[in-house]
Amino acid sequence: MKKKLGALLTGVAVTASLLAGCGSSNANDPNTITFWTPLTGDDGAYMDNLVKEYNATNPAIKVKHVVTSDMYTKISTVLSSGKGVPDLAIIHADRVPGYVKQKQLEPMTTVMQAQPELKEANFLPQAWGAGNIDGTQYTIPLDIHSNVMYYNKDLLKKYGAESFLDDHNVTIDELLSLKGKLPADEYAVNDALMGWVLLGQIQNLGGDIQQDGKPAVNTPVMKQAIEDIKKINDAGLMTPFGEDGYLMFQSGKVLFSTDGTWSSTAHAKVEGLNFGVTNVYSASADKFTNRASSHMFAMFNNEKRTDEKEKGVASFLEFIRSHSVEWAKAGQIPASKEVVESADFKNYMQSFFTSDEKEIKSLYIYTYEYYPYIAEAVDKYVGDLIRGNVPIDETLQTMQKEVEDKIAESGGAAAKTDK
Amino acid sequence: MKKKLNLAPAFFVGPHLILFLVFVVIPTIYGIYVSFTQWNLAGSPNWVGFSNYSTILFDTSSTFHTQFFNGLKNTLLFVLFTVPPLIILPLAIAVALSHKKVKGKTFIQSVLYVPGLISISASALIFTLIFNKQLGITGNVFGSTIAWATHQPYAWITIIILTIWGGVGGNMIIYRASISGVSEELYESAELDGAGSIRKFFSITLPSINFPLIFTFVMTTAGAFNVFGQPLMMTDGGPQQSTSVLMMYIRQLAFGSGESIAGMASAMAVLLGLVILVISALQYYVMNRNSN
Repeated sequence: MKKKLGALLTGVAVTASLLAGCGSSNANDPNTITFWTPLTGDDGAYMDNLVKEYNATNPAIKVKHVVTSDMYTKISTVLSSGKGVPDLAIIHADRVPGYVKQKQLEPMTTVMQAQPELKEANFLPQAWGAGNIDGTQYTIPLDIHSNVMYYNKDLLKKYGAESFLDDHNVTIDELLSLKGKLPADEYAVNDALMGWVLLGQIQNLGGDIQQDGKPAVNTPVMKQAIEDIKKINDAGLMTPFGEDGYLMFQSGKVLFSTDGTWSSTAHAKVEGLNFGVTNVYSASADKFTNRASSHMFAMFNNEKRTDEKEKGVASFLEFIRSHSVEWAKAGQIPASKEVVESADFKNYMQSFFTSDEKEIKSLYIYTYEYYPYIAEAVDKYVGDLIRGNVPIDETLQTMQKEVEDKIAESGGAAAKTDK
Repeated sequence: MKKKLNLAPAFFVGPHLILFLVFVVIPTIYGIYVSFTQWNLAGSPNWVGFSNYSTILFDTSSTFHTQFFNGLKNTLLFVLFTVPPLIILPLAIAVALSHKKVKGKTFIQSVLYVPGLISISASALIFTLIFNKQLGITGNVFGSTIAWATHQPYAWITIIILTIWGGVGGNMIIYRASISGVSEELYESAELDGAGSIRKFFSITLPSINFPLIFTFVMTTAGAFNVFGQPLMMTDGGPQQSTSVLMMYIRQLAFGSGESIAGMASAMAVLLGLVILVISALQYYVMNRNSN
């Protein structure tokens, strides 16, 4: 009888320990800063290098980098249970307003006090600003990653399109001038990251995605931007719908490729691809915009994070601020002014975007609270809109409604006044 | 004599019961509760009664209504397109393999079974490349000039091919096992009575594997209703949301990039669960009644 009871208890204990094992085991280790990032690609390895370099300086508290797939879902899980919350995390700029509204981020005040160089003047303004809500700083930026336009130098020369680059603003009209000049299997531009391209045009045309805090998707500017991009498609100059435009650029069939800063590393590995980088094409002759986002360091609410740990976080972030040229290897633009102004960084292609004030200003980060809903709607419909597969007016109405419904449901104030 | 307390059954059932409670019963009950609330995963859920359900089912102007019915329609299409081949093909293969003259049975069985062991995302990557116009077999060997993922009916075809490729093996193994359990004597006596192979299949094989058939039919259907990975990876729901299945909408509402809309997502999930429950019960009832 006793034996049986013993066996039963063992069984229960084993199961319980298995379940307990599901939690993060050393999240509350006082001598380690648990650092979660969503960097599941090659960039994760560059972050690993940075963390290793930092730990090699023998800091009081070492950093443990945990690449976390599906990180945002896991963050909401650990936040609701209050257990296993990481000490530090990297989040995207678009997420900051939402987390702040839900009071889930701890301000960086103590961190900034511990390391006085972690201040506005030392970072690119829009990257710093995206973490500032109502005067409180919630994040310290790591980088800006942006929509950019790569070009094939050989093809540009072949078709006499090098002059497009003169003022660093390739206009849609200039692209349209290539009509009839390209053979059937070559194209002026592809459709990679089209959602970002469209959101960039909104800025070029002087519009925005919000008006007085309310979402503005169904606007004349949005319609104009779609129609302008659609002209490229209608002229037969855009890679066909559904085809791998990224690959077509790499195989030398496309003059321009709208893509992200991070793709330069992959393009560099393609033999015989002679390429450069410039601003995304613009619907306006006076303005160009590269829709951008930022990876930012943030601390989620965690009562167990000690003051010592926060000091540890501060010294890690200070290390990153002065050493993040390593991060440029991942194709990103470090947010630290010290790094982007260094001679080392000038060797990287993306230094083009920090070469002067106008370029820095072109990196535009949307900070509207409901930007994620708008981006979801834009990404869902943009392909069909610019290909003329769906009516523009009707689709813009649907998109506007979709965003408003989501805002209303998420309990936002914006739609309450609408109803 | 005093009756001894027998703990042995509890020992065997216990661990499973605990896991079942923790990972199935409690989350399900909580999920149903959440479906009656507005919740953003942070803070506490705000009770709204049947409001989510009435929006989804009756408010025709609502995005959630449109998404639910478009998602449900596409999910039903997926079920209709994939469940019959996932029953008929494995059954045909299993019957063919049970023939005495077929050689290399184990090898063929393995070749058909292995795809089921590969994760959906990995297999979807393989098939995306196969159907890639520049790199793939369809373009280079068969000379297809179609961008499969963005044009119908090709978008559905890629999803269906991937699903069947990955799903045939599992059911086939079940049918193989049950066919081999059918007594040889039945076939021999049928032959003596002059029955041909088709007659033998319908009068002996099918009735004998009745239960495995019901089981696989119900399970395959329920599995197909939960489809998510294939359309997400192959077509991203396109073109024009014609392959956006319900799970994709649910996932985006609950775990999209914006603030979570978990209450509405849960209500959709509960409704999907009800649909699966009703259809499974119907299948079971109809097939069981026919077999008796």
